[in-house]
Amino acid sequence: MQTRRGFLQSTMAAAIASSASGCGWTLGEIKTTPSTRFSSDTLYIYTWAGYTDRDLLERFTQETGLRVVADVFDSNEAMLARIQAGGAGAYSIIYPSEYMVQKMVALGLLAELDHTLIVGLEDLFPKFQNPDYDPNSTYSVPLSWGTTGLIYNSRLLSSSPEDWEDLWTYQDQLNRRLTLLNDVREVMGASLRRLGYSYNSTNPREINQAYQELVKLRGAIASFTTDAWRPQMIVGDLLLAMCYSSDAAEVMPENEDLEYITPVSGSSLWIDTLVIPKSAPNPEGAYQWINFMLRPDIATQIVERLSFATPSLVAYRQLPQELREDPALFPPESVIANSETVSPLPPEITALFDRYWTRLTSG
Amino acid sequence: MQDINNHNHQSDIPQEMQKPKIRFRVSWQIIFVGLMFLYMYLPILVLTFYSFNESRYSAGWQGFTLQWYVKLFQDTRILSALKNSLTVGLSAVAISSVIGTLMAVGLSRFRFPGKGIYLGISYLPLIVPDIAIAVSTLVFLAALAIPLSLSTIIGAHVVFCLAYVALVVSTRLADLDPHLEEAALDLGATPDQAFIKVLLPQLMPGIISGCLLAFVLSMDDFLIASFTAGSGATTLPMEIFSRIRTGVKPDINALSVILIIGSGLLAFAAEFLRNQNQKN
Amino acid sequence: MAVSTPPKTPYEPPTTPAKTGLSEIWSKLAGPLIMLGPAGVWLLLLLVFPTLVIFQLSLVENIRPGDVVIPDGLGNYLRVFETINLRVIARSVNFAIGTTVFCLLLGFPVAYWIAIMAPPKSRNLLLLGFVLPLWTSSLLRSYAWITILRPTGVLNSFLGLLGLPTLALLNSSPAVLIGMTYSYLPYMVTVLYASLEKLDRRLLEASADLGAVPPETFWKITVPQAKTGIIAGSLLVFISSLGDFVDPELLGGASSMTVSRLIYNQFLGATQNWGFGSALSMVLIFGVSIAIALLIRYGDGRPSK
Repeated sequence: MQTRRGFLQSTMAAAIASSASGCGWTLGEIKTTPSTRFSSDTLYIYTWAGYTDRDLLERFTQETGLRVVADVFDSNEAMLARIQAGGAGAYSIIYPSEYMVQKMVALGLLAELDHTLIVGLEDLFPKFQNPDYDPNSTYSVPLSWGTTGLIYNSRLLSSSPEDWEDLWTYQDQLNRRLTLLNDVREVMGASLRRLGYSYNSTNPREINQAYQELVKLRGAIASFTTDAWRPQMIVGDLLLAMCYSSDAAEVMPENEDLEYITPVSGSSLWIDTLVIPKSAPNPEGAYQWINFMLRPDIATQIVERLSFATPSLVAYRQLPQELREDPALFPPESVIANSETVSPLPPEITALFDRYWTRLTSG
Repeated sequence: MQDINNHNHQSDIPQEMQKPKIRFRVSWQIIFVGLMFLYMYLPILVLTFYSFNESRYSAGWQGFTLQWYVKLFQDTRILSALKNSLTVGLSAVAISSVIGTLMAVGLSRFRFPGKGIYLGISYLPLIVPDIAIAVSTLVFLAALAIPLSLSTIIGAHVVFCLAYVALVVSTRLADLDPHLEEAALDLGATPDQAFIKVLLPQLMPGIISGCLLAFVLSMDDFLIASFTAGSGATTLPMEIFSRIRTGVKPDINALSVILIIGSGLLAFAAEFLRNQNQKN
Repeated sequence: MAVSTPPKTPYEPPTTPAKTGLSEIWSKLAGPLIMLGPAGVWLLLLLVFPTLVIFQLSLVENIRPGDVVIPDGLGNYLRVFETINLRVIARSVNFAIGTTVFCLLLGFPVAYWIAIMAPPKSRNLLLLGFVLPLWTSSLLRSYAWITILRPTGVLNSFLGLLGLPTLALLNSSPAVLIGMTYSYLPYMVTVLYASLEKLDRRLLEASADLGAVPPETFWKITVPQAKTGIIAGSLLVFISSLGDFVDPELLGGASSMTVSRLIYNQFLGATQNWGFGSALSMVLIFGVSIAIALLIRYGDGRPSK
């Protein structure tokens, strides 16, 4: 209808006019004051879905009298986007991963932790007490950690993989029964590491090389997925899947042919942490939560029930032997020495990664 | 549902459409429709199957169990998320059914300057990508310092619910008999009476389908809800989407089965009552 | 029913006795205001303003949260038209068109049968029954399709039982079409049903009595009468499937990036390039608006009675 054309024209005009008039505002300005609802008997936490179960929350409430309300997110970026777009001021505890801690610190979102209020920091493994992403644990407390590796079906695969290189070597055998993670930094990083470069390389030539190698592998890849591989792996439809160590630890009991390895040339080390935002409504409750999670008896429960590795040395010693020796939960030191945490990159490099990712996933 | 064969020669006509008599036979229309129903319910059957499976993953059968149903009723998170979702859905649909219908009727009836823009805007909720509208709504709400809660989700949901209600209602409106309302007016009814007693009943099937559609979409919306929700106001899709990452536990399958059976029974009961009413 | 004046177009404002002055203005305005006001205000606040936010963001290159919004040009739009992004858009459009066509082909017979051939009392139940699966989370249903279509899944087990060769459907385009058609078929059927349900049966009988073969009746009477439903349903399915990124990602395999996933990645990925994401959204909005405008103009002839 003519009215439709007219509509398009007039909206363009209105839009241009309004955007010209309303410029200069800051997108996603972070509030650093708590939202008006301040309560000392409730604790709002923002966490991953697998981290809190009912028993944990009930126990905390029993011991401290605080009611806990947990909201869940499924990716760090979604959490950050929501916090930045306007959701700050609601939570007293957030569970970012290590690279997100760096980002949030740079954005001025996090409060410095008062170590005198925290019990148990000295119980951690040495490498977690002064981590690269957060020197002196100024802003964060590590909660769980793991690596990225390969889970495979030892019965169906003719020989066991040991490194990223084996993906390319076994390409024909894998033949679309391989999945990789749906994460640009993990996949590109693995390819970079195989070539001898760092996960956090900022050299465009290296990044391009990593991309080209992945293109060669693409014929064998069934899909990019972070979680849908699980039932397919158990049934044997998939031979090999790139996955997080905690997921592998959860899945392996379902099929005795499944094994997990962390590639010997190194992989990415991820650490999930607890942080207190500057605008936390209930900081005292937040410290109580941190102390609760650092307690060895609670930490061992997390390992046993939720299949996460704990950064607490004291808790580690209290674990049964089979858990301590599980390579999916606690990889050997040599492998960890070769692994690195994924850290934030300058925007132009991130944009470069993003372009390669779009090309890789759209063929 | 068998009946005597139709007496005429329509069996050799290969078209899928036959003379539309009320009587029917087990023709291949019914087979086709039956296949389509099977297509619709196949994933549901799969979910049901795995809700009774001992294994936590949708892998091999490991034995029959009701544990997931038991776990479901103990899972306060899921239950409160369900409650929130239902609250949001029913509220959004209630509001949008009224203002959406009014909007559809108003658009078909009146001419005014800027009608083209209004019409275009009413289509907009269907077109804008979810993620864009989710983030920008949050940015907008934050700029106005509006606190987030369950109500902000309802507000955001009304936007697309009313677009769907208006779409379905105006589709039905376009093909209605315009004479009836004029006739009512000629016979002395006031415009309000004509609207309520003549137009509204004719529109009712359209309104109801629109509401059903809108309700389903509201119950299933993840992105908009997760960005406009206040803390503690988690809806069911938000809960499900985040649990997917740690492997869908079959208690969610159990929930789906219960929801379907529950709403099926509700619909059946409502329809039964309506038929009873119509008989009297 | 005596009609005093011949009908011009549907819904001319019903004539009321003339009033004078203010009350006349009020009575002219009251109707539109009451009917269109609430919806208009709601849409303005919670749709138009956020969309303007998107539009403004699309004019800023590399804007991320924390930056100041100063429009500086069309760089984001130029990027939308790079080959790789066009390919992503093309893939999305292909999926959407395929889904719409299949939904129409599969949904029309179902809607027709329920609306016209099924016993009147069970019509609502049948429609509700068809639509009921929508009440489960779409994500769960999509995951169920993985279980059905995977190499040792339900479908292939069934085919194996019958001695038929298995199909490697998962992680390919056919799987995406199966999944997406499944997701949107109930919408198509609902909209078509609403349109077909008020089809005047007497027209069909009259046509048959006049000697038309069923195909003729179908194409010359039924389809034109259902035209509004067909157009509305097709639009609904097309636009919805354009915005679906779950099905292509779960079922499509390694090369399945869609435009909605691309937009999602811009907002919620590591790059946080809300500018580019907004530009993609605006292109999507404009493209679909134009498609709607054309389709409605083309299909705007009211069926004559």
